[in-house]
Amino acid sequence: MNVAIFLVVSVAGALGATAAAAFGAPPALFATALAVAFAGLAGAAAAAAVALHAPDDLRDPREARGPSDVQPILTDGVTRGAFNKLWLAAAGAFAVLGIVPLVSLARKPGRSVRTGWRAGLRLVDEQNQPIRVDRLIAGGIETVFPQDGVDIPDASAVLIRLPTGYVAYSKICTHAGCPVALYRAHSQQLYCPCHQSLFDVLDGAKNVSGPAPRPLPGLPLDVDANGYLIARGDFDGPVGPDDWGRVT
Amino acid sequence: MIVRGTVRWLDERLGTNAGARYLLAKIYPDHWSFYLGEFALYFFMVLVATGIWLTFAFDASEAGAFPSVLALADRSHPIGYVIRQVHHWSALCFVAAILVHMARIFFTGAFRRPRELNWMIGVTMLVLASLTGFTGYSLPNDDLSGIGLRIADSVALSVPLVGQWASAVLNGADYFPGPQLIPHLYTLHVYYLPVTIGVLLSLHLGMVIYQKHTQFVRDPEHVVGRRFWPDYALRTLAVFGASVAALGALAALVELNPIETYGPYHPWIATNSAVPDWYAAFLDGALRLGPSTEIHIFGHPIPPVFWPGVVLPFVTLAFVFAWPFIEKRLTGDDAAHDVLALPTQSPLRLGVGTALLFDGILLTLAAADDQTAAALHIRLETLVWVYRILLFAGPLVAGLIAARIGAEMRARIRESAVYASDVTTLVRTAEGGFEEEEPQPA
Repeated sequence: MNVAIFLVVSVAGALGATAAAAFGAPPALFATALAVAFAGLAGAAAAAAVALHAPDDLRDPREARGPSDVQPILTDGVTRGAFNKLWLAAAGAFAVLGIVPLVSLARKPGRSVRTGWRAGLRLVDEQNQPIRVDRLIAGGIETVFPQDGVDIPDASAVLIRLPTGYVAYSKICTHAGCPVALYRAHSQQLYCPCHQSLFDVLDGAKNVSGPAPRPLPGLPLDVDANGYLIARGDFDGPVGPDDWGRVT
Repeated sequence: MIVRGTVRWLDERLGTNAGARYLLAKIYPDHWSFYLGEFALYFFMVLVATGIWLTFAFDASEAGAFPSVLALADRSHPIGYVIRQVHHWSALCFVAAILVHMARIFFTGAFRRPRELNWMIGVTMLVLASLTGFTGYSLPNDDLSGIGLRIADSVALSVPLVGQWASAVLNGADYFPGPQLIPHLYTLHVYYLPVTIGVLLSLHLGMVIYQKHTQFVRDPEHVVGRRFWPDYALRTLAVFGASVAALGALAALVELNPIETYGPYHPWIATNSAVPDWYAAFLDGALRLGPSTEIHIFGHPIPPVFWPGVVLPFVTLAFVFAWPFIEKRLTGDDAAHDVLALPTQSPLRLGVGTALLFDGILLTLAAADDQTAAALHIRLETLVWVYRILLFAGPLVAGLIAARIGAEMRARIRESAVYASDVTTLVRTAEGGFEEEEPQPA
């Protein structure tokens, strides 16, 4: 009897879900009907299992598995002594050969950091608009890029206006490459939301807390004749996390 | 009629009835904890079914990935929305079910001879399930998962000698994010990883059938339990229905990964509370607690992420993978065990398992240390140090306490067993005296 009720619920749920889909009902309704259909199935199966009153102490003998009692296959003529070493040497040689395709998988091995910054290049915002010296008030912050280089992965920098003037630092964390996107204006610290590294903006973006191993590289700034902010060169240190190949 | 005809047709050609009869008559030991692995199996089946559907809705290109998933996140496409939600929920539940199943196998000693190989296959599947989950989580190319990929790329790069190579292979370029990153993750996610899981799963279950189940009933000569057809089949069907029903309810009630609120990935955009899916959180927590010191070997840097991001998970995994052999070495017990132990029967296992769980939970909590510190009104740096000390002291203390409790419970059970064999019943006679009753045969 319970089984029948559950099966009816299951059928209603399945048809209900189909109807919900056909009439474009909201997803929550479709998912609920789906849950009802499968819950009905679960209930029916469980009720049927209980109704069986089947024994739970049926016994099935265990058979021993292994060790096998077989004669070794004779390979005396081809695997003895020096032969064995040669087979092993061949296997080793093929393993060495296997490194070739593996290594060549990396079409461009190594790592190059492209920032796009060079002396005289204007700072721009996300819309590639140049930034005038009066863009920010003291305490203001903006993400900047080299002109026409918003897409360059390691180009982004945070521009901050301090009471004493502008500073800009790479926005890519030296710990694991996250964007150092948050600024604590009251303590003048940059904060990485991924692993909570803190960088002191007043002290060359030095890593003062958290797992970052070194300061954020700084971007040397200047102002051109038209009053726009420009870079005096590339970042003063390597951008992003270090790796084995970045020999210092 | 059709079924009977088909069965006969197959049997006449392949002799399948003998095998089918063997499987249908197979005895399954009945204990609630034995269903945990079945939950994992059904979550995997749901993942495959919904995943196949999703491959037809997903655009595996760098530019097309985000918009194609955004179209699924849009509630005006209810079926796509629900299928994506069920898929993601199922992935979270899949890893959870594997872990809980594994804890059962561990604490009851089911991995002991002759089942060490199946333990190692299981641990491998846990790793593959997490990797499949992470690659899938990364496919939408949204801002949150993009940040996760950038962290993973940095961790890969930190590996001496081969790090740059691995990163270059995945990115298809010498920078992040490379143009081939999403296509390569896609191939891993829908092909190499799930197919490998499928093969290992077949071996896993095949070995359970061939070697037969372990059980709690103390009869090492027999498997004791319920027949598969129809008794156990109905029970496992109920587990299947319950698994999918739970996923449907979760999809209806709790929205996962709302990428429409994250936006597409940009290397310069991030926000507070950036945390990964739960099974990857322990690695994120480890990175948060990790050192900031960078050491150099012959001028080559070993970045700080190497220790928490590579060494810690690899050492832990190697330890768990090799546990059957480590335990054998420590206890000298190399006998075959078809009868399970209770967790309290082995203080060693109870202690080691508790220590591992302690650090796993601690590192997972550490992935939310910024939110915890804010909620508790304490300095984040203080909390990080508390976690760092707990990471090393906690498992020792918790493990020793658990082992001690286990040892005492074991002793108590043995004691009560000794007394149980020594029980005498006094009977008051009609005259008011006492007599010892004849012991009844058990």
